Amino acid sequence: MSTTLQNLVNQPYKHGFVTEIESDVAPKGLSEDTIRLISGKKNEPEWLLQLRLDAYRHWLTMEEPQWPNVKYPKIDFQAISYYSAPKPKKTLNSMDEVDPELLRTFEKLGVPMNERAKLAGVAVDVIFDSVSVATTYKAKLAEVGIIFCSISEAVRDHPELVRKYLGSVVPVGDNYYAALNSAVFTDGSFCFIPKGVKCPMDLSTYFRINTENSGQFERTLIVAEEGASVSYLEGCTAPKFDTNQLHAAVVELIALDNADIKYSTVQNWYAGDANGLGGIYNFVTKRGLCKGVNSRISWTQVETGSAITWKYPSCVLRGDNSVGEFYSVALTNHHQQADTGTKMIHLGKNTRSTIVSKGISAGHSNNSYRGLVRIAPTAAGARNYSQCDSMLIGEQCGANTFPYIQVNNPSAKVEHEASTSKIGEDQLFYFAQRGIGAEEAVSMIINGFCKDVFQQLPMEFAVEATKLLGLKLEGSVG
Amino acid sequence: MIYQDSKTLLSVRDLHASVSGTRILKGMNLTVKSGEVHAIMGPNGSGKSTFAKVLAGHPSYEVSGGEIEFEGRNLLELAAEARARAGVFLGFQYPIEIPGVANSQFLRLAYNTVQAGRGEDELDPLEFDDFVREKMKLLEMNPDFLDRSVNEGFSGGEKKRNEILQMALLEPRLAILDETDSGLDIDALRIVAGGVNQLANKDNAIVLVTHYQRLLNYIVPDYVHVMDAGRIVKTGGKELALELEERGYDWVGAEAKANARVNA
Amino acid sequence: MNTVSTSPYLAGLLQGQPPASPLTWLNELRANAVDRVGALTVPTTRDEDWRFTDISPLTKLSFQPAQGAAQLAPAAIEQWAIPEAAARLVFVDGIYAPGHSFNRAGLTVENLASGVSRHGAAVQAHLGRYADFERNVFTAVNTAFLHDGALILVPRDTALAAPVHLLFIATRKHAASYPRCLIVAESGSAVTVVEDYVALQSEAYFTSAVTELALTGNAEVHHVRVQREGAEAFHFANCAVSLAQASRYHSVSIALGGRISRHNLAALLAAEGAECRLDGLALIGGQQLADSHTLIDHASPRGSSRQLHKCIVDGAARAVFNGNIMVRPGAQRTDSSQSSRNLLLSARARVDTKPQLEIFADDVKCAHGATVGQLDVDEVFYLKSRGLSDTAARNLLTYAFGAEVIERIPVASLRNRLEQTVMERTHAAAPGAEGKP
Repeated sequence: MSTTLQNLVNQPYKHGFVTEIESDVAPKGLSEDTIRLISGKKNEPEWLLQLRLDAYRHWLTMEEPQWPNVKYPKIDFQAISYYSAPKPKKTLNSMDEVDPELLRTFEKLGVPMNERAKLAGVAVDVIFDSVSVATTYKAKLAEVGIIFCSISEAVRDHPELVRKYLGSVVPVGDNYYAALNSAVFTDGSFCFIPKGVKCPMDLSTYFRINTENSGQFERTLIVAEEGASVSYLEGCTAPKFDTNQLHAAVVELIALDNADIKYSTVQNWYAGDANGLGGIYNFVTKRGLCKGVNSRISWTQVETGSAITWKYPSCVLRGDNSVGEFYSVALTNHHQQADTGTKMIHLGKNTRSTIVSKGISAGHSNNSYRGLVRIAPTAAGARNYSQCDSMLIGEQCGANTFPYIQVNNPSAKVEHEASTSKIGEDQLFYFAQRGIGAEEAVSMIINGFCKDVFQQLPMEFAVEATKLLGLKLEGSVG
Repeated sequence: MIYQDSKTLLSVRDLHASVSGTRILKGMNLTVKSGEVHAIMGPNGSGKSTFAKVLAGHPSYEVSGGEIEFEGRNLLELAAEARARAGVFLGFQYPIEIPGVANSQFLRLAYNTVQAGRGEDELDPLEFDDFVREKMKLLEMNPDFLDRSVNEGFSGGEKKRNEILQMALLEPRLAILDETDSGLDIDALRIVAGGVNQLANKDNAIVLVTHYQRLLNYIVPDYVHVMDAGRIVKTGGKELALELEERGYDWVGAEAKANARVNA
Repeated sequence: MNTVSTSPYLAGLLQGQPPASPLTWLNELRANAVDRVGALTVPTTRDEDWRFTDISPLTKLSFQPAQGAAQLAPAAIEQWAIPEAAARLVFVDGIYAPGHSFNRAGLTVENLASGVSRHGAAVQAHLGRYADFERNVFTAVNTAFLHDGALILVPRDTALAAPVHLLFIATRKHAASYPRCLIVAESGSAVTVVEDYVALQSEAYFTSAVTELALTGNAEVHHVRVQREGAEAFHFANCAVSLAQASRYHSVSIALGGRISRHNLAALLAAEGAECRLDGLALIGGQQLADSHTLIDHASPRGSSRQLHKCIVDGAARAVFNGNIMVRPGAQRTDSSQSSRNLLLSARARVDTKPQLEIFADDVKCAHGATVGQLDVDEVFYLKSRGLSDTAARNLLTYAFGAEVIERIPVASLRNRLEQTVMERTHAAAPGAEGKP
């Protein structure tokens, strides 16, 4: 590959700084005592502690999954600290009382913690290591009945809702990392959109891992009642450390009759250095349940960070006529590994799903799409369309496509297509011959390649996503 | 057309070039003045397309000797995009497909980049849309082309029309059209050739690289050059093309070898 | 040396191995295979490679190789004759039947047991080199029993226009057979081989076949595989193809029979400019399971591959397709496309398809597609608007769906016969009977 191309895809990581802040860090190691400690710190009710312990006991009987197309040394779960929180100076009454060091950190990351900030109109829950440090626009949202807060607060203030839905989409023993998360999750966001309410602004959570050797195990739960709708955004960054850090999140979405949830992620965890040293292991379980008729859950993800990504945002389409969507761009470079895709489980009649996946591999990286489309015998008239395209930049990387298609109903229709394309010398020469330099050419080609996914992102995110790919957007958005 | 006192646009002297270690051009000489139309003909493998790509600065081709002067500048010192901005245009034999990039977006970026290079005004999307639609009429192109991805799924004829459209937009000083006639049916050939003829004027020049005489029925050259083994071995007027059509290329090569022996 | 404890079921299968051969290398090959069987286990649905194919019904029965050849009247096998064949080798329950075999091909087409001594060096150079028994227990069992089968050696620049017919007939209940075929096409040669599995009985039996093909530079092989085993048969086949420079391999494989069948086909494009085309059709109903796993391994530049795999599934049958296209580092300018098309005819029918691309070179053109569905409503409507009944329209379209693969068989008589079979089957299936509009 030409050096121009190489330089263009190798942008430095801009979020790799560490915040100097006094933190309350639990000793390393995992046991029932660790779990009691976490639960105790959060003053949790007995049922939640019990749920954690059940998950932990189940986890002990499980084995790490071997099937993903990723390689990493065995994780020492006793070498991780499962709780790390910045020490509060006192109980917070308003945003003005947030530790200025934290405010500066998020300012630097471009996260609006100030409601008067320029990105007004997006409510943010900010998670720093294991805890939520602030949530904006809470009061304003509460006026229309929307609950948007950290999951810890939700456990305290709305236990009946949390108890009803937590673990209802991803059971505590669902998979190895989901079980681990269920045992040790520390914080995350909770959104509840009551019946008939269209959320007036985008809700978002910004996740920041700061402490070395800590893991982040967040838990997000979004419930949209009958006829409700919400657009939720998630962003993630972490400092540069030479050691790997584990991020094992669980996200559950529940859409009742006619509800609509749109969940967008720009994932930019630290990916390790050019030689593959350090970086986040991003082992995440995200699943949405279209419980009600005509409900819709749409996942959009732009995955550019993490040393390893193992993640399959899924939709269980139980309600008749429900709709599941998955739009994904995954960029891997250097020694990054990504095994990502989705599962569309069609149970209800006339359920529909769309999958658009764009994988870009560069450097020595390995990028796999893995997807499941299952049409159950009950899913008469179900439809799926999948398109999975790969782009290779250079000859040292790999791009793989593993679609699993399981159809058990003769009236279903499933279509899957995949193709590969590349950015090579000939493409760049064609642009150059029309006066267009390599940087703009690469930007244009990649944006063109990812267009179908970027179109799904909310505006601010689309801008951030294209920046993240180290590219300019000239001419294609706006 | 040959004009009295026209300026020399391109001057190629003793050019040598190779690709992946194989020498292709071995002492190429060519002078092109503004207003002229040149045809470069020759058998497969004689180096015609290589010459076209070397002029445009394709990175795979290595120039090992000789000079290329374009409007008094050393072209070899310029990167491909700088040559394009300076007014050198290559019509590709095999136009590249760019999935996902809309043709309109590509054309506008190319146009504005070249305009900016000339210190002239850029066009916003609406202005450009009017401008490009006007140019498309010249080539009898369906406006749908603007919304499709660059060359993706285009037929051979559509790709070639798209090339000439780009030429019309960029208004180059020197247009090198590499096998522009290949893959065209007779109607498409007529349209493409008509477009080229309308773009030709006394300030620019056109170099047609072609294997067959057919194109030259529509675009009449002032000079016909025959390439063999990496250089021009014979130059004549438009009648030379007809003779080549009739007699093939072998005799030119043989004649050149004989001359070489005589001169040696 | 068998140092590993063998699973009881596999130990049972290993009973009745052929006597030692005078060829040391052959005995070593068998012994290595026996060792591997010892280290391997009967696959279960927990193995990724067998995730959709539950072979536990096999393990409830025991099978032994047939002792002594069954005598068949010539008339009994006439129904499967291919009139244009230049040569035919017949095996009854895995045992060579010289009386039913002939060779007018003018080149080596003979049973492996006798060919191995006559063409020792040629056979040794290829036998067991392509079919991997390290991980595949059925290939290992076949290799442990490696004794007889077909040997076809096509000399340099020899093109045999007429097909070679390899006919494997099952006649005995609970018999196990381990046919082994080796086809070597020297440079510039061309041959068409039909590998045909049939039955004269409908009780359970077990076939574990291995076929190896070696194509030298510029050779061309058309390989037709027809699996029309008995209704209760367990059929496991492993086919490995090695393609040298600019060689061309075309395979059409048709799966119609068996209770559980599994066909692994691996083509290695080992040298530059090789071409391979794999076409497949599974037409199954009742409680049948037909599984096809293919690997097209582009290990060299400028290779091209095309694949079309179709399944028509009726009753409570289940079709499995796993098609892997691998483009190894350095295999630039690979051009590959793969298509999996599936038609479900009944509410209990099921298909699991997994086309896969694994690409480690950037200058390649690879695409795959998969569809699962019913007959196209518009097409059915069109035919009905021309006066056809709903059933007739559906039958015709179902037939046409399957015929696209059958038509690619380069042997006219076989093609016609199979078209007839598909016609009969699709009419018997009568999807219109479910009362759809």
